[in-house]
Amino acid sequence: MAVTDVAPGMRADERMRRAGLLRRLLNRPELGAAGGVVIVWVIFAVIAGDRGFLGTSGTASYLEVASELGILAVPVSLLMIAGEFDLSIGSIVGASGMAIALLDVQYHWPLWAAILAAVAFSLLIGFLNGLVVVKTRLPSFIVTLASLFIFRGVTIAVTRRITGRTELGGIDISSVRVLFAGHVDAYSASILWWLGIAVLATWVLLRTRVGNWIFGSGGAAEAARNIGVPVNRVKIGLFMTTAFAGCLLAIIDLVKFASADVLRGTQLEFQAIIAVVIGGTLLTGGYGSAVGAVFGALIFGMVQQGIVITGVDADWFQVFLGGMLILAVLVNSYIRRKAAEARR
Amino acid sequence: MPARKRLFWPAMIIALVMVVAAGCGSSKKSTSSSSGAKKTGIRIAVVTHGQASDPFWSVVKNGVDQAAKDTGATVTYQAPGTFDMVAMSRLIDAAVASKPDGLVVSIPDANALGPSIKKAVAAGIPVVSINSGSDVFQSLGVLTHVGQTEFEAGLGGGERMGAAGVRNALCVNQEVGNAALDLRCKGFTQSIQKAGGKVKVLSVNLANPTDTKQRITNAIRADSSIDGVFTLGPTGASPALSALQAANLLSKIKLATFDLSPDVLQAISDGKMLFAIDQQQYLQGYLPIVFLSLYKQFGLMPGGGNAILTGPAFVTKDNAAQVIDLSKKGIR
Amino acid sequence: MTAPATNGDLPLLEVDGISKYFGTVIALQDISMGVRAGEVMCVLGDNGAGKSTLIKILSGVHQPDEGHYLIEGEKVRFASPRDALARGIATVYQDLAMIPLLSIWRNFFLGSEPTKGWGPLKRFDVGFAQQTSRDELWKMGIDVRDTAQPVGTLSGGERQSVAIARAVYFGAKVLILDEPTSALGVKQAGVVLRYIVQARARGLGVIFITHNPHHAYPVGDRFTLLNRGRSYGTFAKVELSREELVQMMAGGRELEELSHELDEFAQADADGASGAEAEALQRAAQELGDEAKGS
Repeated sequence: MAVTDVAPGMRADERMRRAGLLRRLLNRPELGAAGGVVIVWVIFAVIAGDRGFLGTSGTASYLEVASELGILAVPVSLLMIAGEFDLSIGSIVGASGMAIALLDVQYHWPLWAAILAAVAFSLLIGFLNGLVVVKTRLPSFIVTLASLFIFRGVTIAVTRRITGRTELGGIDISSVRVLFAGHVDAYSASILWWLGIAVLATWVLLRTRVGNWIFGSGGAAEAARNIGVPVNRVKIGLFMTTAFAGCLLAIIDLVKFASADVLRGTQLEFQAIIAVVIGGTLLTGGYGSAVGAVFGALIFGMVQQGIVITGVDADWFQVFLGGMLILAVLVNSYIRRKAAEARR
Repeated sequence: MPARKRLFWPAMIIALVMVVAAGCGSSKKSTSSSSGAKKTGIRIAVVTHGQASDPFWSVVKNGVDQAAKDTGATVTYQAPGTFDMVAMSRLIDAAVASKPDGLVVSIPDANALGPSIKKAVAAGIPVVSINSGSDVFQSLGVLTHVGQTEFEAGLGGGERMGAAGVRNALCVNQEVGNAALDLRCKGFTQSIQKAGGKVKVLSVNLANPTDTKQRITNAIRADSSIDGVFTLGPTGASPALSALQAANLLSKIKLATFDLSPDVLQAISDGKMLFAIDQQQYLQGYLPIVFLSLYKQFGLMPGGGNAILTGPAFVTKDNAAQVIDLSKKGIR
Repeated sequence: MTAPATNGDLPLLEVDGISKYFGTVIALQDISMGVRAGEVMCVLGDNGAGKSTLIKILSGVHQPDEGHYLIEGEKVRFASPRDALARGIATVYQDLAMIPLLSIWRNFFLGSEPTKGWGPLKRFDVGFAQQTSRDELWKMGIDVRDTAQPVGTLSGGERQSVAIARAVYFGAKVLILDEPTSALGVKQAGVVLRYIVQARARGLGVIFITHNPHHAYPVGDRFTLLNRGRSYGTFAKVELSREELVQMMAGGRELEELSHELDEFAQADADGASGAEAEALQRAAQELGDEAKGS
């Protein structure tokens, strides 16, 4: 590493090959997940192609599952890159949906007003989640696990207290149907929402200051704080974003099914984390990608619906789901190691 | 060493793919290795809200499997892991995408499942509903419903309990949000009230029997004038039995339930339980397969647009022994 | 040494009689030192001498319980490290504030990202960041082939230099380095020392904290020695030879006292004890004395 007076880049370095496009692609965290998508699709195309996997309704059905999970997974990936977990997002889905239903059906608010109120409500509880994590310095895993129960419990208790029931149906959603649950052919509007959120998240992560701060907060929070990154604000903002995503999903489901129920969204937080990890984001934070979460959600959707289309007995469903997920993560891991070795 | 390490990951991946493929293959074989009628090539998809691990629904599945053997049809059975309507609608969508010759569904929540069922009907797939949804199936384009109407069954149960002298009852609901179960309690309540009594609904978590037993115990202790406990399924009945036994109140409090299980049948036989309402769910699994096979072949469909009732049938001390025998075989 | 003049000969940073207590523990007692522009001040001391407490006070993590902290003659009190950074006091810790999985250019600009555009379209100026980080590193003498590579692929010495280059670029006036060579091999350490010299040549004041006098002596202009929370004083290079420095650091004075004690012991015992024992004691005392004198 001698000091030279030749301008950088002009000296030929015998250790370096030209950094082509392929090399730069290999370095990306979502490469493994992309490989996983291809492999899973090929597997199901082979064993269930004639059973409907390749047809319109099959494709639309797994895209729908992927898009709904993806709406949650993309913001969750940003939060996990920043080093935190949000286990309460499933309960937020349930709570937001129920809030809209109660305001509309029980108190006769116009639907738009109820939706806006639920959005404000979800942003508030996201803010609270973030505030508690940041101020108490407790692991977010624990804090949001607690809010998972609190929010779900409040949803159930308040709904039963007010209505005596646990689901409210028959909501008139005609005014917003196209926006949230419209269809082109068999393909649902939630796919557009999902892709839009993914594009926005990727842009924020890779092309703005805030994105750099997200990486910094996850990679080395104390050190980042010391050089001027507003780590607390970043984390609270991200908790508000995941809560908002939960609310958006609740709205979409409410409009799709014209109803809300207190148990909606159960276990979605774990599915979202699985999709994010499949997509190449580390559980330890500081590294990952939103595009990876898109691929992860896609794999999840293909596996979940593909298994049913294949005709596998329900008893084996969970075994295969787990097996396919491990397969996807292994492929991911293998490709990442190959890429790292090639780089060295 | 390096060579072996490099082979590790590819080997793992290949092994997993083989396991998955083998599993897929074997599951397909399990539905086709029948010693019954010749395969007709008719494919029927069954999607219910009850997991095959639930003792009630495993009887339904046995009915489905036996009907598949007897008619030569190929049947798949799917259910969501928890009581999750969104997941169930996805299963219906996936089943519809595989273009079956017939679809059998339960409809615990018409609002949530309506769109998916309508999609199936629009795709030209004949649909038969079972178990829940007796009040909505017609509006969704479903051809017929095979099950028990909940309100009337609850009514019948309440009448019997009222006749036995019950005036202050607990109605234990283990699957809050299931419209059918709500109707059962409502029917029950109406009968008891008609007899001059009152009813309180206690909700419990079907997945946690210990907690259920605790809640029932607490409820009984809180109100000592309770003289009847009515549960809506075996997942509520077993803990209730256990709770009453532990509190030594079986002589004072009359216990009855919907649906059967080995514990329930034994308790009736021993005189600890007054009766159980059998909706004969084996028929709910068996009949739709037969109906859809015949529909596919000849266009025949019974019911006349109305529901075909499989219950209520009452199991009491008198016929308990025979039912116990059949229950061991997974038929009742 | 043509250092740009800053208020004459006023130290860029100075602490005057500071002390720090943690409960009943005296971490630092009456420490005074400072650094001028274009000068390297080495702070030396063995483990437990109080170096890490001192560095935390200088960088703004702790506040002194007694004494004053002065920046260019003006009394200051930093509430947080960010305040110190804003005044041009840049601290490079051993853990470097580098995120191994992140690219070099992202790490370089973390917390101070350049932007272009405004409003909702305000974006991270990636092109500028990549080019500038490459240029700045080259100015420090590192030709990084590809600034998009993760920082973790660099060696320890290279990472230190990226951290130093970052601090220099962002306008640090005083650079505080916390044991930068302690985890490095000989050649790597040499590389880092060279960057320290370059930083000095650019007019910064450098406070170089270390427990290794062989690293400190070549680059230092002045030396402050700490021992158990107290200072032995500050010495200019002309006042001190390398051997004297090493001796002071090894606790030379105490060893000499101990050797005298043992000598006396040996004498007293020789009158009563066996000859062999006394001889052994005297030999030990002799050895200690020699070590104290640095032979």
